[in-house]
Amino acid sequence: MSKRILVVEDQPDNRQIIRDMLAGTDYEITEAEDGEQALAAVAKQRPDLILMGIQLPIMDGYEVTRRIKATPATRSIPIIAVTSHALDGEEQTARAAGCDGYVPEPYSPRQLLAKIEQCMPQ
Amino acid sequence: MLAIQNARLFSEIAEKSRELAEASQHKSQFLANMSHELRTPLNAILGYTELMADGAYGEPSEKMLGILKRLEANGRHLLGLINDVLDLSKIEAGQLVLELSEYSVQDIAQTARSTLEPLAADKKLAFKVEMAAELPPGRGDGRRLTQVLINLVGNAIKFTDTGEVAIKAEANNGSFYISVQDTGPGISAADQAKLFQEFQQADNAITRKKGGTGLGLAISKRIIEMHGGKIWVESQPGQGSTFTFTLPVIVERQVEAA
Repeated sequence: MSKRILVVEDQPDNRQIIRDMLAGTDYEITEAEDGEQALAAVAKQRPDLILMGIQLPIMDGYEVTRRIKATPATRSIPIIAVTSHALDGEEQTARAAGCDGYVPEPYSPRQLLAKIEQCMPQ
Repeated sequence: MLAIQNARLFSEIAEKSRELAEASQHKSQFLANMSHELRTPLNAILGYTELMADGAYGEPSEKMLGILKRLEANGRHLLGLINDVLDLSKIEAGQLVLELSEYSVQDIAQTARSTLEPLAADKKLAFKVEMAAELPPGRGDGRRLTQVLINLVGNAIKFTDTGEVAIKAEANNGSFYISVQDTGPGISAADQAKLFQEFQQADNAITRKKGGTGLGLAISKRIIEMHGGKIWVESQPGQGSTFTFTLPVIVERQVEAA
């Protein structure tokens, strides 16, 4: 069975890039545009991995991550933070929120894909 | 009477310092927002470019591949400019905080080498690294020091057309001395004085020809000074240039700007 990736991202171009990047792979994608949609999607279909945009409307990606990690049933899903806040100390913030990986924007799709493969549970 | 005046003065001072702290907080938030606003579209530009070059939208022609390379190089250049401007703004706002931990000068030189050796190879320049034996481990902001060394080596490669660039490092009396030597055109005494100021390259025509913000050396100088160190250049026209920085091997505390 192909692995499922939940893409949480409010920027349409970034969703398109990730979609095109994964088009040639075996992964199945679900998309969410904000934190609430993300939590609903996680509860409904339990993805194998989450690409978490951090700057989201209403609830930021770190808060969404904390909630997913606080729920025993979803705690083990790996979450990769994708953030344009590339300031000093951002990676520590991501780790502290419970993210398993951290990719600063602008990223290379090739490198993001490598990160996904590295974090994907077997 | 005096007591009342003093009390009023104190409350005015308290009010002013609260306003200052607030202004600094706003500036910091503004910088974070700008960084986000500028990176988001750049991510789309660089992302689509790479996908296109990798054939995600059909096999690109040779000619198209060449253009996509230029597109990527220009996007990366723009990213460099954004990072420089944000770094300098952060330094000006007193928001740049060194992350002090253990680092190795060998690792820093190795990172600079692996980042820039391809550029040197493109110009057929020799790339040398000469380290004194047994350099002690340092304490400071390794990432920022790497940024300084990459800036110096990047400049050396940019301005040198034949010959070599060399990184040299030694430790003496509790300080590191790290230098970058090139066989480029050299810099006149008058131009040397301007090099480390913001927005100043030795010659404006150079900015247009060679690119760069003219901010790299100003940022490097500030980073080295925050480590309690110094940076300088020795050069003569026609004789190449040597940029050297020195800093304490162990930096326990960030030095605030004067």
